[in-house]
Amino acid sequence: MRLSDIMAGAGLSGYAQIALILFFVAFIAIAIRIFWPGRDHEMDAASRMPLDDEHPQTARTGDRS
Amino acid sequence: MNPQLDTFSYDDDIVRQFTWATIVWGLVGMLVGLLIALQLAFPALNYGPFLSFGRLRPLHTNAVIFAFAGNAFFAGAYYSSQRLLKTRMFSDALSRVHFWGWQLIIVSAALTLPAGFTQAKEYAELEWPIDIAIAVVWVVFAINFFGTIARRRERHLYVAIWFYIASIVTVAILHIFNNLSVPAGPLKSYSIYAGVQDAFMQWWYGHNAVAFFLTTPFLGLMYYFMPKAADRPVFSYRLSILHFWTLVFLYIWAGPHHLHYTALPEWASTLGMVFSVMLWAPSWGGMINGLLTLRGAWRKVVEDPVLKFFVVAVTAYGMATFEGPMLSVKSVNALAHYTDWIIAHVHTGALGWNGFLTFGMIYWMAPRLFQTRLHSQKLAELHFWLATFGMILYATAIYSAGLTQGLMWRAFDETGRLQFPDFVETTMRLMPMYYLRAVGGALYISGMVLFLYNILRTWQARPAAYEVPEIKAAPLAKVYVEPPHPAEPAGALARFARATWHRSWERLPLTFTVMTALAVIVASLFEIIPTFLIKSNIPTIASVTPYTPLELAGRDIYIREGCFNCHSQMIRPFRYETERYGEYSKPGEFVYDHPFLWGSRRIGPDLAREGGKYPNLWHVRHMEAPATITQRSIMPPYPWLLRNAIDFPTIQKRVDAMAMLGVPYGDAVTRAPAMAQEQAGMIAAEIEAAGGPRGLADKEIVALVAYLQRLGTDIRKAPAAAGGGGH
Repeated sequence: MRLSDIMAGAGLSGYAQIALILFFVAFIAIAIRIFWPGRDHEMDAASRMPLDDEHPQTARTGDRS
Repeated sequence: MNPQLDTFSYDDDIVRQFTWATIVWGLVGMLVGLLIALQLAFPALNYGPFLSFGRLRPLHTNAVIFAFAGNAFFAGAYYSSQRLLKTRMFSDALSRVHFWGWQLIIVSAALTLPAGFTQAKEYAELEWPIDIAIAVVWVVFAINFFGTIARRRERHLYVAIWFYIASIVTVAILHIFNNLSVPAGPLKSYSIYAGVQDAFMQWWYGHNAVAFFLTTPFLGLMYYFMPKAADRPVFSYRLSILHFWTLVFLYIWAGPHHLHYTALPEWASTLGMVFSVMLWAPSWGGMINGLLTLRGAWRKVVEDPVLKFFVVAVTAYGMATFEGPMLSVKSVNALAHYTDWIIAHVHTGALGWNGFLTFGMIYWMAPRLFQTRLHSQKLAELHFWLATFGMILYATAIYSAGLTQGLMWRAFDETGRLQFPDFVETTMRLMPMYYLRAVGGALYISGMVLFLYNILRTWQARPAAYEVPEIKAAPLAKVYVEPPHPAEPAGALARFARATWHRSWERLPLTFTVMTALAVIVASLFEIIPTFLIKSNIPTIASVTPYTPLELAGRDIYIREGCFNCHSQMIRPFRYETERYGEYSKPGEFVYDHPFLWGSRRIGPDLAREGGKYPNLWHVRHMEAPATITQRSIMPPYPWLLRNAIDFPTIQKRVDAMAMLGVPYGDAVTRAPAMAQEQAGMIAAEIEAAGGPRGLADKEIVALVAYLQRLGTDIRKAPAAAGGGGH
């Protein structure tokens, strides 16, 4: 039996729909993760990074020793 | 507090080099675009083989995509990455290898494409040695980029860096898998895929080249340079994260929408449509995020040409990404496919999004790179208005042309016959729009000339030696301590939301890159594996056999001259197509087509059932001077095909390469040249007997005629009687 016969019997064309659902679930998970309240400070700090070219640049929270 | 600060400097020389390359190649690529636009309006502008439309069109697309947009991405990425990561590039030497390697590739493209060396796959035309060079240079870029990330002094990776990572990883995957081929000479190869599968791979690549070469890199640039120019942070960082992951998840599936109603399996086509429609949401989320970054700064837009360019760029992104999903809907696509509508859509994205973002970015960087004031704000303003009006004129003309074409092709009269059966009639109707398009393009290019002049004068005012500022930044601690998040609420969802997984990825580039690559690869495999392995997707047709050695040589001439740029070989199952061209195309007809030649545009009629429609002599006369056979035809003449000798000895290598790909060539693997000469002799004799020119038996025209006469004829033959390479 050839690989293509096995694949033909596996009904793989339906897998695309399963993948669609998986990716939709991943999307919802990321959306919840991102928009959950309480991360404003972290997000604000990240969003200011392009404007933060000024120097000297001190270490950020978490990297301070 | 950490009192210890590292001192270092940024490498802006490499940014200056890529900036110049962007401007120069941009101008060259756009001028070639103007020339081919004029060739459609004035066919007499096709000069000989090297400057004919079929060979120049891929030069235009490659130049603007890979030379203009590519160099712009590299310039912006080298500038922003060093600053966002607070470190110099990993290796100055690798930066130079990347720069010069990329320019060498562009020069190779500029030499080989007009010379007719092409793989016949859109945006992947370059032949195998150049493909290998692209892969090598891309790996050099990747090592340099990821090395820079490894040496960074900023823990969090800003969202622009994510977009760069996704682009670098995905372009590598796309390039390698779409370009897999078997060489048949120093600058000749055959795709390892055939027919439906090759089409599928090509548009998996083609659409994602738009996605990951023209969209995600430029979104990265937008997320860095727009906040810089507006001097305020991006409107919503949350939205930018969602924008990123949604694009990475969705884009990779969308390719099959380029193949609606073709011989591609229905399920793949539908999948491509559904994911394309879903893309609308993140794209518009990104556009809104970009525009709202200017909240409170709209006054600046009035005064600052940089922001003007950015506003139009983001608006064009919004328009193109609204139109893209719309065009992917099958019923809309049925009208738009093969028409100029698609060309208009592409140019809204390329001229508006890529062009304007690049102009804004370079106008913003130029004073900083050349450490002086911009030579003239007024000229920059003038550039903006010329480019805007040029683009609007271009788009209006070509949208009208596309709609006109699509509607005329499908029109029936009251007796149920095609209202415009003569294809040339539909072409002639477009002429005023082709003139207008050329004017629009010329306006856009005149803006480009001002751009070059303005930047050149700015450069001339540079200091004798560039100042190299010393940057100070604290190194990263060896151990990272997750800061507390006291504000977060309790509960299961909160635990998920609080989970540090995404924050970890943002700090761990390797994990992040692997996750991004996984999203792309898994999505690709879910589409590709069924297409390749389910037999029922491509029902075989017993009477379909390989091309004879001479037909194969003719097919290679068809590829060399770029005929596929104007003629499709795919009849869709619509009455208005079957009435005009004949029986609709079947997947099984293309099993020996390495590469597929379905095309994406009909400047001339479809040729899928061309075989047997006209006598051999008609084809000879038509190729020699098309307008003498088909009045008002805008097809360029190909008189050199009647002079050039067929390269019989190389036919064996070509047949051998095809045989290596599994094409059942039988006897032809040992005596291909002899078989080709025999068939050429018969065709030449027939042409002569019909009153045509003598002595064509060793001329390229005969090979091309053999190929054209074979097109689409196999399904009409009984299996036992079918001709073929080894039968």
